[in-house]
Amino acid sequence: MNWLSGLLIGLREIREHKFRSFLTMLGVILGVASLLAMFALTAGIATGWRNTMQQLGGLERVGVNDKQVSLEFADLAALSPGRTLADAEALRGLPHLVSHVAPEMQTPATLSAPDGQTVSARVVGTWPDNLAVSQHEVAAGRFLTDLDLERGARVVVLGDAKVAQLWPDEYGTDADFLGRTITINDRPFSVVGVLALYQREEDRRRREAAAKGGPAPARFAMGGRRGGSGRRNMFSWKNESVIVPLSTLYHEFRSGQPETPPLVMAKLDNLNFRVRDLQRFDETLTAVQNLLRGTRRGIDDYDFDTREDWFERMETSLRSTQLSGGLIAGISLLVGGIGIANIMLASIAQRVRELGVRLAVGARRRDVFLQILAESTVIGMIGGFLGLGAGVVLLDLLGRVAPLESPPVIEPSAILISVGFATAVGVLSGLYPAWRASRLDPIAALRYE
Amino acid sequence: MKKTPESSAAVDLRDVHKIYGTGPDPVAALDGVSLRIDPGEFVAITGTSGSGKSTLMHLVGCLDTPTSGRVSVAGEDISTAGSDRLARLRNRSIGFVFQAFNLLPRLDVQGNIELPLVYAGIPRRERRQRALDAAAKVNLTDRLTHRPSQLSGGQCQRVAVARALVNDPALILADEPTGNLDTTNGADVLRLLAELHRSGRTIVLVTHDPAVAARAARVVEMRDGRIVKDTAT
Ligand SMILES: Nc1ncnc2c1ncn2[C@@H]1O[C@H](COP(=O)(O)OP(=O)(O)OP(=O)(O)O)[C@@H](O)[C@H]1O
Ligand SMILES: [Mg+2]
Repeated sequence: MNWLSGLLIGLREIREHKFRSFLTMLGVILGVASLLAMFALTAGIATGWRNTMQQLGGLERVGVNDKQVSLEFADLAALSPGRTLADAEALRGLPHLVSHVAPEMQTPATLSAPDGQTVSARVVGTWPDNLAVSQHEVAAGRFLTDLDLERGARVVVLGDAKVAQLWPDEYGTDADFLGRTITINDRPFSVVGVLALYQREEDRRRREAAAKGGPAPARFAMGGRRGGSGRRNMFSWKNESVIVPLSTLYHEFRSGQPETPPLVMAKLDNLNFRVRDLQRFDETLTAVQNLLRGTRRGIDDYDFDTREDWFERMETSLRSTQLSGGLIAGISLLVGGIGIANIMLASIAQRVRELGVRLAVGARRRDVFLQILAESTVIGMIGGFLGLGAGVVLLDLLGRVAPLESPPVIEPSAILISVGFATAVGVLSGLYPAWRASRLDPIAALRYE
Repeated sequence: MKKTPESSAAVDLRDVHKIYGTGPDPVAALDGVSLRIDPGEFVAITGTSGSGKSTLMHLVGCLDTPTSGRVSVAGEDISTAGSDRLARLRNRSIGFVFQAFNLLPRLDVQGNIELPLVYAGIPRRERRQRALDAAAKVNLTDRLTHRPSQLSGGQCQRVAVARALVNDPALILADEPTGNLDTTNGADVLRLLAELHRSGRTIVLVTHDPAVAARAARVVEMRDGRIVKDTAT
């Protein structure tokens, strides 16, 4: 006798006792369902985070921040020029480590479209590299160019939300906003580009559903949370962008005032760069550190703002979620396993005579062992597959009752692990009953009433 | 009868004791039994209830091992054999017919007859064919897909006989095979056993019925775990 005939006997046994087998499997089903749901939820959260992260510039984006100088340099603090364009120029000297550099100056301003509205905004002056550093995506037109920068051109790239504010009547129609002129603090600028709309996955799906014209899914109607408009999402700074060449911003809005330093010594409001190779992340930071020490005259009034810490925090919280979810699933599976073992023992007691007959016609102890083990394995496996189904239903219900920030993602590995665990539970819980069955004495078994 | 060397005997018991229970009063189910059965013999075993007939059959049938003494079946000494070897002997060399039929209720006739072949590792297609042949011998070809609960007692016992002969064993043991049957059905089963004997198999039959015992060429009578009479008719 081989495994296959053992499995067939097991399957027949399960078919004969459908309801009992189902009850037996219940623990495993619940265990697998919660295991799968846990994997899918955390994978969904992780995917959402990674997408968000990517859109915010990815792990490669590093900011140079101002920092309170340490005590030993306290007296010298004034000597440091702070974060200036010189820093940015210096960073460009490390092309093998730093792929993009984006210095930023900001100024609050009033934007006015002659054919639209007047709104206030924070205007950012930057370099063309900002496109890569901030992971902007141009929906129409173009981004800033080196030529714009060189000439101090009066060109502006607008975020999606700003377009909507300036031309509320035309937003969403086929209207072309490129080439229009707006004024920024009364100076005319030509719109050369419009950025894509950045949104969370959930908002995107809602918008798409609405666009299809079908009835909005029930879950969006209930509860106080109406997604995008209800809460400022983390992409709003991108959607609200008003981007002009750095030189333009400086010359138009900063210089001319008394005691303006030359452009290269002008203070920046932000300085971000992009690490070329994540594998050399630390090396890059060290190199940049050395470089900045030079431009800052050795004074440590700067700091790096990396996404790594954030990412690590994310991973940690994700792991603890997984751990607690796994614990619940593990307990269910354990209970399921005990259930299987219990039923197998009962079913052996019921079938002593059958086993006696099998022994009498030539079954070896290991054949009986395999038969019982195969049966419990089949129960575990079927429980696993039913659990997968239950898990999918569970996720669906969860999505209906409480809309999820990030949609769950069922990865193939999660399916494998879940069914694998269920099968393992089936095997383990069958071991003892199978051993008991294989120790039966043929004559005693045949006499058994 | 001509004496043949021990190894060629179908069954050979030498001073076999089987003692049940170890406590203050153990039961000696077999108390020094020596018995030799040659290939092709048809032996009936009779005796009062509790005289040790079934115990003897279990030893000969390799379902059990003796407390002391030697038991050889088909030339193999099983007194000290391990469980796998016993299983193999039961599977290949011995067919057992029980008083209580002992069919598997959840298998159909075909499945029950096939059972020994499953453990002999015979492939499915061949199993099917051999089960069909065995069913034909006991005249049950039209009941192959029925379950035991759908059969009469006589039919059940014929299925059991088919199961006993499907692996073509040299030795067939029947422990009161007619005990649960009426005369007609009992006669049917006995005729089947007689046919098997004619085709060269060794038959050992336990019975209470003197008329049944009379059909055997040799009758062994037991009492209190001993053989008290061994007559060839
Ligand atoms: N497992 C056992 N434990 C203890 N005593 C046993 C056991 N099996 C059999 N015996 C005893 O061994 C003796 C012989 O039993 P056995 O079943 O061989 O008798 P039998 O000749 O087949 O009787 P019957 O004609 O009633 O079937 C009996 O006294 C019985 O009580
Ligand atoms: Mg008996």
